[in-house]
Amino acid sequence: MATQENNDDRIALLQGTLDLLILKTLALGPCHGQGVARLIQRQSEEAFLVDHGSLYVALQRLEDRKWISAKWGVSENNRKARFYSLTAKGREQLVEKAGEWQRLTRAMSLILDASHGPKSEEA
Amino acid sequence: MLRRRRTAKDFAEEIKAHLELEAEELRGEGLNEEEARWKARQSFGSVRAAQERFYLKDRWEWLDRLGRDLRHGLRSLAQSPGFTITAIVTLALGMGANTAVFTVMNAVMLRSLPVADADRVVYLRTTNPPHGTGTVESAETFSYAVYDALRKQTGAMTPLMAYVPLSGTKVAVRYGAEPEEAEGDMVSGTFFSGLGVKLLRGRGFTEEDEANHAPNAVISYNYWTRRFARDPETVGNTLYVNGVGFTIVGVAAEGFEGLETGGSTDFWIPLQSRPELNAWGNPPEDGKTYIADPTWWCVRLVGRLAPGVTKTQAMARLQPVFQHAAYIGLGTPTRGEKAPVLSVVDAKGFPGYAEEYGKPLRLLMGMVGLVLVIALTNVAMLLMARNATRQREFSMKLALGAGRGDLLRQMLTESLLLVTAGGLLAWVFAVFASKALGAWAQIESSLAPDRTVLLFTLSALGVAALLLGLAPLRIALRAGPALAVKTSAATANADAGRSSTGRIFVALQMALCVVLLVGAGLLIRTLRNLEDTSLGMKVDGLVVFGVQPEIKSLAQGREWYRDLIGKLRDLPGVESVAVMMYRPGSWSSDNSDMLVDGKLPAVADGGSRTVRNNVVGPDFFTTLGVPVLAGRDFADSDTAGSPHVGIVNEEFAQRFLPNQNPLGHVIGTEDGVYSMTIVGVVKNHKFRSIDEDPIPMAWFEYAQIPIIGKMDVELRVHGEPLAILPSARKVVQQMDPALALIGPMTQRAQYDLTISNQMLFARLAGFFGLLAVMLVATGLYGSLAYRVNTRTAEIGVRMAMGARRGQVVWMILRDSLLLTAAGVVIGIPLAMMMGRALAASLYEMKPLDGPTYLLAVMGVAAVAFAASALPAYRAARIEPLIALRTE
Repeated sequence: MATQENNDDRIALLQGTLDLLILKTLALGPCHGQGVARLIQRQSEEAFLVDHGSLYVALQRLEDRKWISAKWGVSENNRKARFYSLTAKGREQLVEKAGEWQRLTRAMSLILDASHGPKSEEA
Repeated sequence: MLRRRRTAKDFAEEIKAHLELEAEELRGEGLNEEEARWKARQSFGSVRAAQERFYLKDRWEWLDRLGRDLRHGLRSLAQSPGFTITAIVTLALGMGANTAVFTVMNAVMLRSLPVADADRVVYLRTTNPPHGTGTVESAETFSYAVYDALRKQTGAMTPLMAYVPLSGTKVAVRYGAEPEEAEGDMVSGTFFSGLGVKLLRGRGFTEEDEANHAPNAVISYNYWTRRFARDPETVGNTLYVNGVGFTIVGVAAEGFEGLETGGSTDFWIPLQSRPELNAWGNPPEDGKTYIADPTWWCVRLVGRLAPGVTKTQAMARLQPVFQHAAYIGLGTPTRGEKAPVLSVVDAKGFPGYAEEYGKPLRLLMGMVGLVLVIALTNVAMLLMARNATRQREFSMKLALGAGRGDLLRQMLTESLLLVTAGGLLAWVFAVFASKALGAWAQIESSLAPDRTVLLFTLSALGVAALLLGLAPLRIALRAGPALAVKTSAATANADAGRSSTGRIFVALQMALCVVLLVGAGLLIRTLRNLEDTSLGMKVDGLVVFGVQPEIKSLAQGREWYRDLIGKLRDLPGVESVAVMMYRPGSWSSDNSDMLVDGKLPAVADGGSRTVRNNVVGPDFFTTLGVPVLAGRDFADSDTAGSPHVGIVNEEFAQRFLPNQNPLGHVIGTEDGVYSMTIVGVVKNHKFRSIDEDPIPMAWFEYAQIPIIGKMDVELRVHGEPLAILPSARKVVQQMDPALALIGPMTQRAQYDLTISNQMLFARLAGFFGLLAVMLVATGLYGSLAYRVNTRTAEIGVRMAMGARRGQVVWMILRDSLLLTAAGVVIGIPLAMMMGRALAASLYEMKPLDGPTYLLAVMGVAAVAFAASALPAYRAARIEPLIALRTE
């Protein structure tokens, strides 16, 4: 998806996780796209690289699904910006997706942490 | 659902805002202006790519969703092939019938004449021709003198055009060696240029062509195709018309088939003045052709309004000229005579079609409209039944998170698929059906469906798709997610099965079916009445054809026909031979007032004095099988030299010579020039058409009157009548190799032509009635079968509780009989309205015809019974134990 070079130690986002991150970010309150990108980067301690182009397409997708809604407004430094906020439906989705994600990471870590698993036989 | 889609511009704006916000933030982090901008831009990636993705996303999603819906719809339809096929065929029949009838209606009534700027073209009409004139159509034909005067009046029509056929039917032509027949008109030199008809090849006519009576001909595209195989060499060759050579100078553009009612003209020639090319194929009277005869009003006129001139203005300019010209050569008007008044009518449509077919076609359109309503309700009922059984599927989907919008979209897609398939099939069906219709109605102009027809069909299909998609929606929406938890098919369906909508539909269909059956019944019985009408003669065994020999003089003409009669009598198998000027059953006749014993007869109660004439040869009544009540038939001994004799019919004798022996009285033409003694009275019989009322008639002997020309020959033969034609043709061609037999057919077929409209009307109505019955039967069967199906458990319980099989059968039958009764009660008043609309088309019967109504009611009852028989049988065979075990 993202065509940006990845020449530092940041992690490219897993497909599908971006939606969840956006929902989570917006759960804190309405925000514009640039702010969402900044917040994600900052909260992940700069580990996540957010491709801005993909971010806006994702925002649009979520808006189409009515998980978030958007309104043009003015930013804190008096600039025109499109503000996104979470809908009731989006809040439900956030709970559900977050739960899924937690189950997934738990399962992943269970497997990855089980370092005493059966060894593969070597000839 | 109907959220406004976000524009790409709005999206671009958002990106711009982002870049500015980002740059500002970076500036805040200590970067300089340029660096901040660059970095913001760089970390965004490709702006264009993002915009492209935004743009594509919507479209892809839409296409993807459509594709998914279509696939889902197809799969779901394929799962119930019985339903799908029934629905598609039902739709195709309903739609196809409508498209076919509309195609004909469009071709006949709605399509414009294929001329330039048809709105400015008008036909000329008159109220009444002056006394002492003869006409072809009293309101539509004019004398050549009138045409000549009107066309010189400037400022009204540019130009005024005249046209007149060379024959009432077809005229003898020859191209190469073989004689044949074709339809031809004589037209003014301005005909093609004035109408704005393009010439595909060669040229049209000029005013010099008309002035010189030039031997030039233009042929129609159809004739060029049919007879000359579109040979480009045709132009320049010679076409002989009644033995006169014409050089083909042009081929008219495709689609233009002349201005003659119902026919298609094969060729046109400039107005002629030769006796062998007289108007309507009539022999010249007193040596005068139509051009020199102001008493014969036989020319039709059509004009193009001069630029900027309204109809009213044109009439104001033409009226005085017309009222003067009408009396040219006639002397002064008789006292109290009303002056003829000129008027114009739009020439937009095809000539004469609207009058002839307008009403039947409108009624047929109404009938097929009802058929379509029945077909649509049928499919709607099928869909509802099907969707009712899918309630649990819908509930499950709703429970799984599908929106009602998704369900609606899915059902609309399914009905769209059904309607599309039905529509395609309907189109195929309609193309064939309209061809058959055209052949039946003998409409020779093109019936190819055009854009109007396509638009009609498409809009009908659109309405159908919407109705069929929305009709079952209610059921689907009522299926709340809660239903899914009910696991029993029987209980889930019981709620929906109680819907009374289906029952209302069935009753409505029954009502419409009654209406259609009554309409069909009335028309079919009318046709029966017409077919059973006694013609007053022995029509079987008669064959008729026309000949148009070259006539040089009266004596030579009479001699030629005497010779022909003699030779035909000698043919083996020929019982007797008769010649006549007007062929019976061809709608044409010569009508005028006649003197009886030297004066116009007094008629009681102001009745008409009109006498219908014909000119015939010896053995005429013997050959036709018309009984001679008193006196004798014409005989070979009646010649030019013997006393003039005439024969009249009963009606003539009763009206003009009441209570007297008509034999010996002298009758004659109104002008007193020709008179004859009555030597015979014959029984009334049909002359012009089957449905005519008796009218006074008089027959002249052909050898005794001063006119001779084209004649029709009637042969009474043993065995198959048409089998005599080859040897008759040989006889004619031995006398003159250039002669063709004109319009050869049995006399029965000739009479049948006069009721061909009624035949067509009745057959079509019968067909649509049958179609309605079939549709209603399948619809009723479908809904009953479905109801029995859903009530299996209930019936099982009833039988377990001791209900007998007979009671179960009665339960099902009672249901459909009740619906039938309701349908009949609603249908009868509607049918009476239909009957009133049909009244003018009925023959010897009243719109309130008891037997027809009885048959229609019995018809729907039988249909209801037949459709319920199988479901009732199935219900009776339900085994209580098995039925209950399925729970």
